[in-house]
Amino acid sequence: MSSSSSTSANHKFRSPRSGLVGAAIAAGSMLILSSCAVANSEPSTGTTSADLVRIVLPQEPPTLEPCEANLTSTGVVVRSNITEPLVERNPTTGDLDPLLATEWEATGDTEWTFTLRDDVTFSDGTPFNAEAAAFAIDRAVNSDLGCNVEGYVFGDNDLVVTAVDETTLTVSTVTPDPILPLRLSFVEIVPPSTDTAAKVREPVGTGPYKVKQWDAGTKLTLERNDDYWGDAPAYAEAEYQWRAEGTVRAAMITSGEADLAMGLGADDGAGDLGLDYPNNETVALRLTAEIAPLNDIRVRQAINYAIDKQGITDSLYQGAHIPAAQLVPEGIVGHNPDLKPWEFDVAKASALVAEAKADGVPVDEKITIVARNAQFPKVSEMSQILQEQLTQAGLNVELKMVDTSAHLQYQLRPFVTNEGPIALLIQHGNQAGDAAFSVEQYMTTTGAQSVYGTPEFDTRLTDASVLTGDDRESAYQDIFEYQNEEIVQFAFIAHQTGVIGKAAAVDYTPNSSSGDELRLAEITPVS
Amino acid sequence: MWTFLRRRIISSAIPLIVVIVGVFALARLTGNPASLYLPLNATEQMREDFTARNGFDDPLLVQMANYFGGVLRLDFGVSLRTGEPAGEMVLRAFPATLQLAGVTMLLAVVLAVIVGSWAALKPNGIVDRISSFASMAAASIPDFWLAIMGIWVFAITLGWVPTSGVSSPTSWLLPIAVLLMRPFGVLVQIVRGAMVTSLSEPYIKLARSKGASEVRVVSRHALRNAAAPALTVAGDLAVGLINGAVVVESIFGWPGIGKLMIDSILQRDFAVLQAAVLLTAISIFALNILIDLGYAMLDARVRPTTRARKRRVTPAAAQERKLNVQPTR
Amino acid sequence: MSSPLANPQLPPGGRSVTPPSTEVIALPRTLDTSKPGLFHLLLKDRFATAAAIVLVLVGLTALVGPTLMGDLATQQNLSATNRPPFSLAEGWQFILGSDSLGRSMLARLVVATQTTLSVALPAVGISLVIGSLWGVWAGFHRGWRETISMRIADVIMSFPSLLLAVVVLYVFSPSAANIVLILALTRIPIYLRTARAESAELQSRTFVDAARTFGTKPAAIIRRHVIPVVLPTLLTLATLEFCYVMLAESSLSFLGIGIQPPDVSWGLMVAQGRQYLQTAWWLSLFPGLAIVITTVAANVLAAWLRIATDPAQRWRLTLKHKRKRFIARMPVKEVA
Repeated sequence: MSSSSSTSANHKFRSPRSGLVGAAIAAGSMLILSSCAVANSEPSTGTTSADLVRIVLPQEPPTLEPCEANLTSTGVVVRSNITEPLVERNPTTGDLDPLLATEWEATGDTEWTFTLRDDVTFSDGTPFNAEAAAFAIDRAVNSDLGCNVEGYVFGDNDLVVTAVDETTLTVSTVTPDPILPLRLSFVEIVPPSTDTAAKVREPVGTGPYKVKQWDAGTKLTLERNDDYWGDAPAYAEAEYQWRAEGTVRAAMITSGEADLAMGLGADDGAGDLGLDYPNNETVALRLTAEIAPLNDIRVRQAINYAIDKQGITDSLYQGAHIPAAQLVPEGIVGHNPDLKPWEFDVAKASALVAEAKADGVPVDEKITIVARNAQFPKVSEMSQILQEQLTQAGLNVELKMVDTSAHLQYQLRPFVTNEGPIALLIQHGNQAGDAAFSVEQYMTTTGAQSVYGTPEFDTRLTDASVLTGDDRESAYQDIFEYQNEEIVQFAFIAHQTGVIGKAAAVDYTPNSSSGDELRLAEITPVS
Repeated sequence: MWTFLRRRIISSAIPLIVVIVGVFALARLTGNPASLYLPLNATEQMREDFTARNGFDDPLLVQMANYFGGVLRLDFGVSLRTGEPAGEMVLRAFPATLQLAGVTMLLAVVLAVIVGSWAALKPNGIVDRISSFASMAAASIPDFWLAIMGIWVFAITLGWVPTSGVSSPTSWLLPIAVLLMRPFGVLVQIVRGAMVTSLSEPYIKLARSKGASEVRVVSRHALRNAAAPALTVAGDLAVGLINGAVVVESIFGWPGIGKLMIDSILQRDFAVLQAAVLLTAISIFALNILIDLGYAMLDARVRPTTRARKRRVTPAAAQERKLNVQPTR
Repeated sequence: MSSPLANPQLPPGGRSVTPPSTEVIALPRTLDTSKPGLFHLLLKDRFATAAAIVLVLVGLTALVGPTLMGDLATQQNLSATNRPPFSLAEGWQFILGSDSLGRSMLARLVVATQTTLSVALPAVGISLVIGSLWGVWAGFHRGWRETISMRIADVIMSFPSLLLAVVVLYVFSPSAANIVLILALTRIPIYLRTARAESAELQSRTFVDAARTFGTKPAAIIRRHVIPVVLPTLLTLATLEFCYVMLAESSLSFLGIGIQPPDVSWGLMVAQGRQYLQTAWWLSLFPGLAIVITTVAANVLAAWLRIATDPAQRWRLTLKHKRKRFIARMPVKEVA
């Protein structure tokens, strides 16, 4: 321990508690830290902070299979670190940026042509070309592997992928798809040597890092890919660990055992080391609008008025969340900036309920709020507030907390139908950046996660999906307005804010996709 | 002894099969994991593919027969979550828990013997009062609370140990301390009770009167006598440690079987759950057999001539001893 | 439960037919006759008295608390969340601070007492009754009944109880009733084993033989001669289990499948308060203290009760203070 003073300097950290105690603690933890840093380091390499960035995740990646990379737990490690897609969405601007493809254009109603880079090799030395890209897309979308990304962005429709020459690739769809390049930004490119019969746990890719070692259960280490075609990232190695408890992840930042902690909550104790960032997740109640008393629009409106969105944000999330008026937050194509959240007005809510009651609507019928344990920080507190506030409006509300699997039975078709009216607490994240991904699911009459719709609304949705550019944007904006005025399947609560814990020794600015795709190349040491 | 061993092993086999069948059926009752593993917008076709691919559409009996067929060939199936062979995952996680539980149990026994004996020297003295109170309180604190509190105090505020992980020797301290509380609390009271009794028995008085030192009296004579009840209860407590391991491992990121089991339940990862339960059950049966053996040996050596003892004391009987040696007020 | 003294077939001096070495065969007795004496004895022991008072208070709180404070416990105030304890600025209700939704901690603790006890007591009670009767029956008859019973106990014990609870509660929803049932089920073997051991030992005793010789039916022997003897031991065990069940309920809450909001139990409060440990320690400390104090009190009282209800040891409690240290020297009862 005494010999490790040289390494201890690498784990700079500031104790949140100031003064003498802080200094003493700092000195004490330096000793401990340095001893564990020594234990951690490989015998051959000295550990210095420019060499290693340590990240703590909420859970171990179940696999690193690139065709499952749309799953948060896998994608956060794999995407843009180990493997790369042809194009990627810039989370800040919402535009598509070139990556392995330099250009792309629609070359027909149902066909897109991509021009690929010619200077890229996979980390195992295989050259990257149109052949490889076609293989990877085929493997992810058209195979029998049951890839998650296939279902997530493409559904049952297969793609026809052709390598025209070394650097030209065409992709055809059955029906016109104006956002095909965006969909393809979810397909990570793997070399043709990749197993087509089974999923792989440790993939090869073109990314700036490659898998060095995976001690299952303990930690995962990536090392710099020295043949990377782009700029070399700052850190030579990245080490991932995982802790289920948010407080523990935050503690690892304050004690200097980790540089970045993902998925924290506001009260987990990261203090000043916690960075807020909008994570594109929206929380709402989804109302079964065909079951009494929720079949009366006044009752659904009353629910919207009854919820104190600002109060919830302030008391539970220290004001970091934004009261929501629609399913997608700012930055997503189709977000309507003119929509204002429903005002919080208990009197109005009660009046609406009373009015409905006078018309014979059975407002005393029990409405069940169904929420999922640990879905996001303080979900149980939020549910209890919702129950209380809906009760204030004169409704008969029960709360039912369930686990993920049970929650899915309410969330997905075929829905639970024998439990009366249900207000399901949903958290919807639009990782893709286009409202189409949200409304297809949540608003069409037959949507997998939609419990209500009208034929007229369906027509609007179908029409919007084939539009491009500004037309598309304004069509979706109208759709969100229409939902609030005529449909009211949802009572929106908040656009969420995530917290990432960041040690003082590293520089990183989180963006809306940090939770799904943590780009190691964007992390740099503080000099 | 070999006859005894063989009989125990054979008689353990049937419960083992019952355990596996029970877990198999229960796990299947928690529902088809398709929606957990497929994207939210998965189509009916994808659902059917998934179900067929994993054999969940076969009748339960067929699934079970396939599974047992696999187990006989040491094939425990493939994890839905990670795609790895379940047997491998379980064997990889098992040593971590075994080490944690082993060290914890060892420490608990050693500490409990020291504290319990010390307390027993002067029943209802100050040491006795404090130790029995403290051990009772220690055993009744929720372990996850203790764990998070420990991290806050010892890792963040004092900085003595790492918060979690397995990276350095010091990272063992917190998990062990947390896991230790319950077995230690219970064992202290048992050792103390047993010691109080044996210290008042005639042969101890004899030893004392012969001028043996107090340390010798306690360590050579009384302790041996007190070991039997402690040993049996320690066995039950060791089994209980698996419960604690579930909580402690998930907080401290300990890559053990407790965390693996709870994850596999949450994720409906049936193959891993079954393999983990099978391995735990086998080791618990093995532990019980070992304890019976140890008990029999101890019994034979310590009190071969006790008149009242007509048959071998089973662990179950010792459960009763545990009760009778609770501290008094 | 009838006293054996009322049974003409057994000589009143039951003790005289038992070997002198076995104190465990304390005279089966009626609890009724010993009650006034018990109370008197209790007052003589300060620790036991304190423990009894604590338990009575907890019981009373569980009974009347929800009626008195039920509304207060659900009254949210989003502008006054996480107020620190020991301040009367917000009124007496907030003497223990407020929780993350601005509800009175005091009222929440009081209401949680009922839920906690209504899980712990039935769970302990059910496993006690089933496990004891089953164990006594198995031990009394020996043979295949004993073997099968013990193997069943092995099966349950070889599966970590917490995990069994988790699996079962996923199949059936985590309602209070299901939590009670599963906790009861997983703890049956504890009583089963103990009761079987004692009963197996008793059934070879002379006084049982005597009863048998006189033609008393097994059920009657069990009822009159076996159960009264094993009961004190099992009750003590039940007190220990009370602690275990409360902790298990708390661990289930930690794993997200215990008592579900809006219901509240001490275990749930500790589990939910854990995320505020650094910002609002009182959210988990107070319910945690409630668990610790209740279980310690129950254990203290149980330890005392065991001596007090055992005629062979009871005299020790009546000793003058000076000789009290000998009380602790109670022998380990031999089972064999």
